[in-house]
Amino acid sequence: MRTRNSMRVLAVILMLAVVVTACKPSAGGAAAAAVDQISLEGKNVEVVLWHNRSQSDQDLLQTMLDEFNASNPYGITARAEIAGASYNDVYNKINAAIQAGSPPNIAVAYQNQAAFYRSQDAVIDLSPYINSSKYGLTADDKKDYFAAFLASDANPQFKGETLGFPTQRSLEVMYYNADWLKQLGYDKAPTDWKTWEEAACKASQESGKAGWAFIHEASNFASQIFSRGGRILAEDGQSYVFNSQAGQDTLAMIQRMAANKCLVEIPVSERYGEQNRFANGDVLFVFASSSGMNYYADAVAKAANFKWDIAPLPQTGDLHMNLYGASMSVFKTTPEQQLASWLVIKFLGEKAQTTRWAAKTGYLPVRASAKEDVIAAFKADPKWGPAADSYAKLFDWANAGMVESPVAGYDPVRSLIDTDVMSVVINDPKADVKSLLDTAVTKANAILKENAPQ
Amino acid sequence: MCMMAIKVGLARASASLQAYRQLPPVRRKRRLHTIALGYALMAPAVILLLVFEFYPLFSGLWISLTNWRLTRGDFIGLANYTRAFSDPGMWHSLGITFTYSLISVPLQLVLALLLAYLLFQQIKGTQFFRVLYFMPYVTSTVASAAVWAYIFSPDIGLLNRLLEGIGLSGQRWLGESRGILELAFGSLGVQLPGWLAGPSLAMVSLIIYTTWVFVGYDAVLFLSGLSNIPNELYDAAKVDGASGWQLFRYITFPLLSPTTFFVVLITVIGTFKAFNHIYIMTKGGPGDATTTASIYIFNQMVVYNRYGYSAALSFIMFFVILGLTIVQNNVAGKRVVYD
Repeated sequence: MRTRNSMRVLAVILMLAVVVTACKPSAGGAAAAAVDQISLEGKNVEVVLWHNRSQSDQDLLQTMLDEFNASNPYGITARAEIAGASYNDVYNKINAAIQAGSPPNIAVAYQNQAAFYRSQDAVIDLSPYINSSKYGLTADDKKDYFAAFLASDANPQFKGETLGFPTQRSLEVMYYNADWLKQLGYDKAPTDWKTWEEAACKASQESGKAGWAFIHEASNFASQIFSRGGRILAEDGQSYVFNSQAGQDTLAMIQRMAANKCLVEIPVSERYGEQNRFANGDVLFVFASSSGMNYYADAVAKAANFKWDIAPLPQTGDLHMNLYGASMSVFKTTPEQQLASWLVIKFLGEKAQTTRWAAKTGYLPVRASAKEDVIAAFKADPKWGPAADSYAKLFDWANAGMVESPVAGYDPVRSLIDTDVMSVVINDPKADVKSLLDTAVTKANAILKENAPQ
Repeated sequence: MCMMAIKVGLARASASLQAYRQLPPVRRKRRLHTIALGYALMAPAVILLLVFEFYPLFSGLWISLTNWRLTRGDFIGLANYTRAFSDPGMWHSLGITFTYSLISVPLQLVLALLLAYLLFQQIKGTQFFRVLYFMPYVTSTVASAAVWAYIFSPDIGLLNRLLEGIGLSGQRWLGESRGILELAFGSLGVQLPGWLAGPSLAMVSLIIYTTWVFVGYDAVLFLSGLSNIPNELYDAAKVDGASGWQLFRYITFPLLSPTTFFVVLITVIGTFKAFNHIYIMTKGGPGDATTTASIYIFNQMVVYNRYGYSAALSFIMFFVILGLTIVQNNVAGKRVVYD
């Protein structure tokens, strides 16, 4: 009897605990509720956004922001500024600005860069803003965003905090000279590495030409590892793993191709050297961001004017693509400025804006509802030719997207991958790839530890 | 030495004060005005020095004693300095810097002296050649380095086109980490041990560029030195039957020694501080073949965001340059002939 009563009491206590826990707002919910409380009325907040795009993209961005400035009910005024010619330029400038205590309100940043800013307590978690019932995204909005794009900004090093928000995305793809490939006896882009290497070496036999443009760029290396089923960083974000079999195969192939003169090394001093050589018809394959399609189309049209296209990198199994494209991060300021910054980003992510931006820049839109409009815009423009169809396929390829390394300190690791790994095999046909990768991973893990949140 | 100087300074100050007190009131007032005016005139320069030289210097020293990343770090004493001495990267970069300096300084000096000597002769178009050789020095480093990077480009560069035009094989120049002796003997089928490989071809390419830029500047300095040597000395030596080499060896070279000393001093310091063209042309690569100390310090700051550590490395570099300058002053300075 006594035992039965005890059991009843325990059951009631447990039920109460469940009810209390369910009713109590979660930490995330409380933070979102706090955002709801912020009022922007009469504050006339000014927001500055730093990016790295060209002047013509800046013009479009500012046009869209002008529309936001005229239409938002909070009196927010947003201004875009070009802060450099590359993501690295922006990163360096922001690092200096953080030290000076005057970062912008919003800036483009890769996930790893945002993680570094977060480690310096300079950027904020956007989750409460996204989930705010007053200022956040609706359930339909959230459903409309490509899930993989949203997920890529949740940072594993900072307990899943959302350190950026996507307004654009791109994939690393293979640009190829379709006319030349056909002349070499290939009807379509190679889908496996053996055929690809064979085609590249065949193309290199012609004097002054090369099969592949080797770029001193860690993303190139990462994309090849992904395509072989490997990873740069372990899934839990706790260690680097690019010394896997996929890493060794990638490096061995680069070493072999350099020794057999199947590639041309693009000097570090040459910006867009791979693009220029491709446009001149001197290089058969280039691995680069899909966001460069515009530039490739223009360069080819002005130079050798051949038929070109894009395709995924050759694969060894299931499709794996390198998904990148920086997000927008918000820097720590006042609650009002942070909220105003979020509202600017939210506006840029809306269907109308993401469609215009994608159609102009070649980036992917971030919403499913924008997909058809952007594809239609590409198909309507004759300069794209067959590449317009390939652009449409990017949406499918994006489902197989993987992020390189969203952790703080990945920039020095990228540098390490070039200096200690890629540059060595390019110069030394006898270097032991396994030991090079093992040493580099040891160094990379030390950097990871150095940059881990305290 | 330092205490001695302080004692002498204090004694002089005390004597001046004594003399000032003994002056009649009118002259004392005038003297006071003169002193005040002196300090007032010095003030702008002193303020500028304090704000833009000493404050950053001491601020940098403070940062080097902390684990400063992007934002203020904790005080860690000399940990950054001890870390630096056990950092193979720092020693490697110092070795690269010394190699760069040891090859490029003598090369620049010899060529500059030769050029100056030629330009000093009474030949046609001297002014034109002087301007021509000085041009690289006044050209923007970024622009000229970018152009030279194209010249060195393995597949589209002018240099390889020229080599291939005369039947030689092209080189990878800035992208080649192997030593020049290793490459030269390798082409003959002889394998050299690593320590005999010589400086990398990438480093030699940088030295070619550096020489191209600075030879004209050094030659102008030598020219000014040459013009200070009295002609009577040459005339007298010629009367005594001195040959051209003897004129150079016993008159020009010794009397040019103050200029030579100055040129050596600034060239050595310049090579140790070299950064812009190396960054533009190789970024320290391939691998770390051209990672000089300044590139290494820059990478530690900008790529690794180790501000405290890079500040410590900068101070170590400062003392290395200071030490070299003192050694040069004591060794070479004694051989300088001033009159």
